[in-house]
This record gives sequence, C-alpha cells and structure tokens, in this order.
Amino acid sequence: MQIAELEYDLVSRAAGAGHGVAVSARGLEKAYGAQQVLRALDLDIAPGEFVAIVGRSGCGKSTLLRHVAGLERADAGTIRVDDAERRGLGADTRVMFQEARLLPWKTVLENVGLGLPGDWRPLARAALADVGLAERADDWPAVLSGGQKQRVALARALVHSPRLLLLDEPLGALDALTRIEMQGLIERLWRQQGFTALLVTHDVAEAVTLADRVILIENGAIALDLRIPLPRPRERGDGAFAELEGEVLHRVLAREARES
Amino acid sequence: MKTVTPAFLHRLVPWLLPVGLLLGWQAGTSFGWIASRVLPAPLDIGRALIQLSASGELWAHLKVSCARAFGGFAVGAFAGLLLGFWTGTSRLTERLLDTSVQMVRNVPHLALTPLVIVWFGIGEEAKLFLIALGVMFPVYLNTFHGIRSVDRQLIEMGRAYGLSRWGLFREVILPGALPSILVGVRFALGVMWLTLIVAETIAASSGIGYMAMNAREFFQTDVVVLAILLYALLGKLADVAAKGLERHWLGWNPNFQRAGA
Repeated sequence: MQIAELEYDLVSRAAGAGHGVAVSARGLEKAYGAQQVLRALDLDIAPGEFVAIVGRSGCGKSTLLRHVAGLERADAGTIRVDDAERRGLGADTRVMFQEARLLPWKTVLENVGLGLPGDWRPLARAALADVGLAERADDWPAVLSGGQKQRVALARALVHSPRLLLLDEPLGALDALTRIEMQGLIERLWRQQGFTALLVTHDVAEAVTLADRVILIENGAIALDLRIPLPRPRERGDGAFAELEGEVLHRVLAREARES
Repeated sequence: MKTVTPAFLHRLVPWLLPVGLLLGWQAGTSFGWIASRVLPAPLDIGRALIQLSASGELWAHLKVSCARAFGGFAVGAFAGLLLGFWTGTSRLTERLLDTSVQMVRNVPHLALTPLVIVWFGIGEEAKLFLIALGVMFPVYLNTFHGIRSVDRQLIEMGRAYGLSRWGLFREVILPGALPSILVGVRFALGVMWLTLIVAETIAASSGIGYMAMNAREFFQTDVVVLAILLYALLGKLADVAAKGLERHWLGWNPNFQRAGA
C-alpha cells in the first residue's frame, strides 16, 4: 500500500504541472424553499486533484457542483478558488453537463469553438482530435450518438484549457461500454492537462476508477471522505479496487437501510 | 420499360384532375355552355396575358403591386421583429408592452380601412400602413414565442462558456428562435397578399387590383381572372421563397432537411 501510494503521488505531481486551481468551500448553505439542500458544507480540493462526489439522488451533490461553477448563489458560506472568492461564473472554470447541450444549429467544430476569440479553428480542431472526433468536424450534432455528443462537449470544455473542470454526471445517460471508454478518455486528458476536476456521479465504480478522493454526501453534508490510493489506470476487477468500491457502497446502502 | 411506365404514370396521377378540369372548362366555353361573361375561356385568359404583357401594362401594374407588398412587409416585419426581440429578452418590456400588443392584435386590421383612408387618403401611405400593420402581428407573436421557447439549458451553457449578452443573443437565442420566426414570416406573407388585394380593390389608380377593377367595369372577365391568377402565383412564389429560406437557415434541423417546396 505504501509503495503504491508513493508511486501514485509521483505520477500525480508529474501530471499536475501547477495548472489546476485549489478549491475550498466553507460553511456552504443552500435552501430551495423549505428544502435545505446544503448544510454547513466544508470542502477542500488540492490543485490538480480529481475529486468525485457520490450520493443518492437529491442529496445535494449537483447543487454543490453548481455552486462551485458559479451558476448558483449560496445562502451562506463562501467558495474560494485559488484564494479568490467565487462570485458568478469564472473564466478558468468549465462545466460538462448531464446533457451534452450542443447547439444544434452549429457544426461540431463550431460548437467546440464556441466563445473562443480570434483564430479559433486550429484550436477547436486540435481539441476535437484529442477526443478522437476530428473527422466529424463538419457534421451537425443531430447525427452524432450520445457518446459522441459528450465527447464533443468534453472537447468544448477542454479547448479553453480550464484550470477547473466540473463534471455533472456527464456519463449518466451513456451505455456501459461507452461510459468506460469515456472514463478512460477523461482520465487521460486530466493527466495530460493537469486541471483540477470535480465529478458528480451516482456510479460508485466510476468514482473509484477516476478519483483521487471519493466524497459521499448525505443530506447536504459530507458523510465520507475516502482517499483512493490505487495506481492508474485502475483495473475494475482488482481486489483493492473492489474493496474500496465495496466500502463506499456499504456506506451508501447502510444509510439507506437505517432510513427504511 | 415495364418498371419505368408505372412510376411515370404514378407521377402523372396528381395532374389528371387539374388538366381534366381545364380541358372541360375550355370545352364548356367553346361550345357556349358557359357564358364568357361568367367565366372566360382559358385561351382568352392566355390571350389577355400576352396582350397585356406585350403592351407593358401588366408589368407596370405588377411592379407597383410588388413594391407596395414588399415595402409594407419590410416595415411591418422589421417592427414586429424588433418588438418581439425586445419583449422576448426583457421581462420588464414584456410586462410593459405585451398586454397592450395582445389587445391591439385582436382588432382585425382590415376593419381599420375606413379610418386609414380618413388619415392618409387613398394614396400609397394608406396601403403601406395597412400591409405593415397586418404583417407586424404574426411576426411579433412568433418572434416572442420563439425566443421564449429557446432551451433554457442552452442559454445556461452559453453563459457558463463566457458568452457576452450580445454573443448569447447571436449564437444561442436568435438561431434558437429562428424556426418560429420563419413560421411567422410565412404567415405574414399570406396576410401581406390578402391586405394588398383588399387595399388595391377598394381604392387605387394602379396595381393588379386596379387592373382587375378597371376590367370589371368593361366586363373584361378574362383580365379579371388573369388578375386573380396573378395574385395566386405571387402568393405561391413568396411561399416558395420563404421555404427556401427555411431550408437554407434551418439546414441543421432534421425536420427541414427534406421539406419539399
């Protein structure tokens, strides 16, 4: 275990290259009407770290991500990104949503280049090549499959070289095989570019595959913060992997059992 | 050959009825079953067409009518678009203006004709005003509705990807509203021809409507029917042009890719 952790740290540092930002949330509170969604939530993410948030639906995990993105305003508490308080949308942050949200009236390439200033075509082409869709540049989004759409959405997020990438269950609607492919792609690009990543998912195996740390949120607060010290790329069938996955699942299910 | 003939016949079938009717019509007038005062023979209408276009009279009237129609359309569509953009993108303007516009919209614009003649006389302004008024409302309504029905998620995405207000309008809101706007434009084109016909029939000293009313006084039913056919043709041409715009601008939308004219 010790050796694995050391190895992992070396890899992690080599990849990081100081590009990612640190994120810290303090005393985050949010209520929608009478429904308290976030309760005095504290969270720290190191630069270049990959953190996955799991939890049952309605636990507040997506709400937390939307606050970090600056899409929602908290009732109380602060979010700091590299020591600057987050107010509204940040130029260094990009979000991948549950739906691809491609503009149907723009070609794949134009979608990737959305919001880029100046001579954006070479950049967009390169980003599209990174996700393996260079040859689909001139197609309309309507003719792509669900997995391809999400790959375009990933290219569109990464073309801005974000320092913080927020992933709001982006693979939730994909079939199992496409999902595993996409996980590999996200991991590879994360290691190449060294951004900080925050992934919200309901799939515990996905969280354990990708994350340095898996955080379980229950009733708007952090119930478990588990480090995943496995070397990358991770093998799903691996004993240590299954053990960690089991641990997280056990916590989620134990809670469910207590409640019912 | 056997495989070609049925396909050829198949394409012929829709034309059997119109061609048959035309032949029957010609026969009816030639044999004197139908008085030419009631309905002129198709060949007479063709003769009137050749005669009027040779003398240049037809083109002069056509030009005047088209200038009126498209002049009024341009003014009305521009006003409707602007108003729609304005109320569609701002809650405040919507609250301020939408109720009033909806009330005014329920007044049939042709009912205003006597009042418009009092205001502007029977000159060009009156016709332009009536056409513009008729065109404005369908364009306004569909623009407003189009903007309001743009996918909220796409707008949120645009904001999250750093688009400015203008960028958001140009890249997301306007293209998202375009299918609806074009529906409004096609509807408005219909209103445009209808208003033109009414305006020209009531009071005019030129244009196709004037040509028809003038011919009526001399019982030249062939010219009257020719004018009606011209209106139909112009309406069809405008509709084809609007469909062409749809196919050009909405090529991304699978619903419009194979839409025939």
